Amino acid sequence: MSVGHVSRAFEQAGIPTVTIVVRAFRHVAERMRVPRALVTPHPMGRPLGAAGDAERQREVVEAALGLFESAEQGGTVQEFSAPFRPGRASV
Amino acid sequence: MSADRDVSLAEFRESFFYGSRCDLSFKFLRDLSDEEAAEFLRVLLERLGDAYDTGDVEPLVRAAIEAQVKAYGRKAPDRWTYEDAPFTPPDRPLAESRLLLLTSSGHFVEDDDPRPFGVEGMTQEEAEARIDEFLREAPILSAIPRDTPAARLRVRHGGYDVRSARRDPGVVLPRDALVEAEARGRIGALADEILSFPGATAQGRLQRLLPEWVERARNAEVDLALLVPV
Repeated sequence: MSVGHVSRAFEQAGIPTVTIVVRAFRHVAERMRVPRALVTPHPMGRPLGAAGDAERQREVVEAALGLFESAEQGGTVQEFSAPFRPGRASV
Repeated sequence: MSADRDVSLAEFRESFFYGSRCDLSFKFLRDLSDEEAAEFLRVLLERLGDAYDTGDVEPLVRAAIEAQVKAYGRKAPDRWTYEDAPFTPPDRPLAESRLLLLTSSGHFVEDDDPRPFGVEGMTQEEAEARIDEFLREAPILSAIPRDTPAARLRVRHGGYDVRSARRDPGVVLPRDALVEAEARGRIGALADEILSFPGATAQGRLQRLLPEWVERARNAEVDLALLVPV
């Protein structure tokens, strides 16, 4: 919710935004009409993927950057479709 | 609570939400019904039984994510619902754009503690215990120089399980992925400072700060902002 307000304020001030949001909060992004949202299938606290999964982090960032190029109107919501994959970080 | 008293399923569920079994990855149990929580636990155990042999924990994790989505998704609409959707098209190609990374992760640099409520070195546990106070106060924005070594990053946030962010800041602060995007020319540049604040905060007070935050972004001459809520 906090970042939803940030996204709206930045966009209204002329700074385009993309917000990366986990699926549990998709409805918040939609209700707040976040300008561009990339919805990832990841658990809360890990919007970019599991710890140590640098490849997934790059993929999510690339998808988010692509939204700057593809979105044509506010309230654009795109799903990052690859499923969450548990990581292998040491405890 | 005496040691020999039975615990109801409702008490058990609610204890994960800042209670005796507080676990911010599973605080959503409070928002499931008893029946839903019982079914969630049954599925978890069934899949754990399979994992003994398969070693595959992905189905367990999937069940947890699905339960989290169900619990959060049904929360009643709140006052922050908007009809209009602001939109500013980028005015230049990505490869020529300067990008700001801003996250509500609660990261800061080790020698630059934002000192919430004037407390130096507040622990994660204390932040969780004081969540109601955080939700009444304005957020403190921390600036993180982009070349800060990961070992000097700290994270504290009373609203989510920070264990993953401690193991790897990139789960919510994708600095390394953006530096790579910069290196291969996908973006023009990542801005010198990354911004982070603990997103569990008073929304009205946050909104009153946003003109300052926008000004800060303008002063950094950024063209785009990538935003990451937790």
